[in-house]
Amino acid sequence: MSDQALRLYNTFLALLALVSLAGAAALVTYRLAKGREAAGRLLGNGALWLAWAVAAVCTTGSLVYSEVVGFVPCLLCWVQRGFMYPLSLILLGGAIWKKPAVKYVALPMSLLGLATSVYHYVIQIFPHLEGISCNPTNPCSARYVEVFGFVSIPFMAGAGFTLISVLLLFYVKAKKE
Amino acid sequence: MNKKLLWIVGGVVGLALIVGLAWAIANEPARDPNAGYGDPTVEGENLPMVENPNAGDPAVGMTAPTVTGTDWNGNEITIGPDGRPKIVVFLAHWCPHCQAEVPRIIDWLEDGGLPEGVDLYAATIFTNASRPNFPPQDWLEREGWDVPTVMDSAENEIVQGFGVLSTPTYIVLDGENKNLGRAAGEIGVSGLNALAAIAESSIEG
Repeated sequence: MSDQALRLYNTFLALLALVSLAGAAALVTYRLAKGREAAGRLLGNGALWLAWAVAAVCTTGSLVYSEVVGFVPCLLCWVQRGFMYPLSLILLGGAIWKKPAVKYVALPMSLLGLATSVYHYVIQIFPHLEGISCNPTNPCSARYVEVFGFVSIPFMAGAGFTLISVLLLFYVKAKKE
Repeated sequence: MNKKLLWIVGGVVGLALIVGLAWAIANEPARDPNAGYGDPTVEGENLPMVENPNAGDPAVGMTAPTVTGTDWNGNEITIGPDGRPKIVVFLAHWCPHCQAEVPRIIDWLEDGGLPEGVDLYAATIFTNASRPNFPPQDWLEREGWDVPTVMDSAENEIVQGFGVLSTPTYIVLDGENKNLGRAAGEIGVSGLNALAAIAESSIEG
């Protein structure tokens, strides 16, 4: 991938991450303003499809980084992958067969993934938490990507997990009505 | 059905807007991907790679290879047996620990930390155009770096020559280019003073 194409790809994913966070914040605000019933009706079963789309984009995005661009995933990247990749299959199955029970598996996975992303992002801001030097073959604290000065790969993953979690929470509310 | 269609159309339009915005933001003049690399010659036997030189460097006493290369302005730099002891620091532009260490080194130099008769050199290594803070010279010039710095090649010849596994890494060499010890990681002012003392002792010895 050329330098220019990589910059475009990074910026595209960074914008998607920011839109995801804005979307999650908007959904939470809507829920607080309009109440549980209206929030549930807003997306209905589409919440599962949307959550699957987010997981699919995150999965594809990370695979492109490792398999096309050539970034070596660090240990914490693998942990986040371990939560995100199965989500893209579980949520697809749940959306196709309309299985509400999928939320009981997907939501904890998404929240654990979010916790890992937050920890990874904190390590990038405070690299001393990981150690005192960089190992080029497995640098959890070093950033492969930096867009707008603060959007890195764990930030993107965290934004994806956040939106998936909020959508699943909405889906839970919708089904309870 | 209408609601579904509205969501789909909204999604497609939104995605198109994001792609357009990304294109506008990322569409800067292309950088020269070779700007951060040098073409040094490394002559002599390579020092062995050590996982953690802070726990003891088995290569102490071995003669380090002689490096001849250039900085980003084309000035020729030789790190070799010139009769003067020296400290060489190996830095990577994307490494947060190097980014934290460079200002400390600059302050240490400004405070007169480097003893008379001891030289300080640097090498930019593990350069990668697809990583942040590229090219390394932009970062170092921004920091006010004034240390003779040789740029490693894309083939990591300097890395292999000095057996560097992590960044930042330091090596202390005597006037005959013999390795007096290597250290890895952020060592700060106290570590720099310790390395300077080792280098200085080789003059007295």
